[in-house]
Amino acid sequence: MKESLMDILCDPLDKSDLELEVDERDDDEILEGRLIGTETGEVYPIEDGIPNLLPPDMRDD
Amino acid sequence: MGILEDKGRARLFYKYLSKVYDQVNPFIWNEEMRAEALALLDIEQGDRVLDVGCGTGFGTEGLLQHTDNVHGIDQSIHQMQKAFQKFGKRDKVRFYRGDAERLPFKDDSFDVIWSSGSIEYWPNPVDALEEFRRVVKPGNEVLVVGPNYPKTTVMQKVADSIMLFYDEEEADRMFEEAGFEDIEHVMMGPSYDPDIAITTVARAPEK
Repeated sequence: MKESLMDILCDPLDKSDLELEVDERDDDEILEGRLIGTETGEVYPIEDGIPNLLPPDMRDD
Repeated sequence: MGILEDKGRARLFYKYLSKVYDQVNPFIWNEEMRAEALALLDIEQGDRVLDVGCGTGFGTEGLLQHTDNVHGIDQSIHQMQKAFQKFGKRDKVRFYRGDAERLPFKDDSFDVIWSSGSIEYWPNPVDALEEFRRVVKPGNEVLVVGPNYPKTTVMQKVADSIMLFYDEEEADRMFEEAGFEDIEHVMMGPSYDPDIAITTVARAPEK
């Protein structure tokens, strides 16, 4: 995902801001890392550039 | 509740459906219908558009003809693999995994929201539509294509057991409950079944 998408992304659970942690990037493209809910503490992984913002009760694969 | 309205089952169903989906899909939702639906919207180049339940990317492909700022969200990574093959994973389209009823976007983030062939799998369609209203800019439009409620009793029984189908009246109720205005419906379909799909365009109120 592009880092600029932080402008529109929020925590799906309570719509609060997310914090970005980057493990691997290619310019402004975040390849691996995570988005963390600043209120909920929920961790949403970024896998091969695709942020997985499914709420925790919907993640199973 | 239809068997696919359970999200776990829907995911499993889609894992297998994704293998044949684009071959099966044209029977109910084809390029002509897609073009007819796109013509109902006023998408300008550069508009940021969200495709909810983008799946294999059939709707996404149509949206890209109007703007290069298309975002696709889907719960199923298996469906999206097909879309990745078409558009690349990080090239033309911004992809996300997420839930239509709990969108991971801030208020007023999009110029247009589009969803084709997804509403029938949402357990609580009004919750998702409320999210659409929150995420689209005030005064702007959303478009939803879903299956029109069948007219024969046998097909109604099939419909009720598998997934959500709805008619104009029910669509009005859902969109009104979600807070939309200027709700319009257009029936679409191939010549042998001209009203198989119901396309709804609605406007989020100005704040």
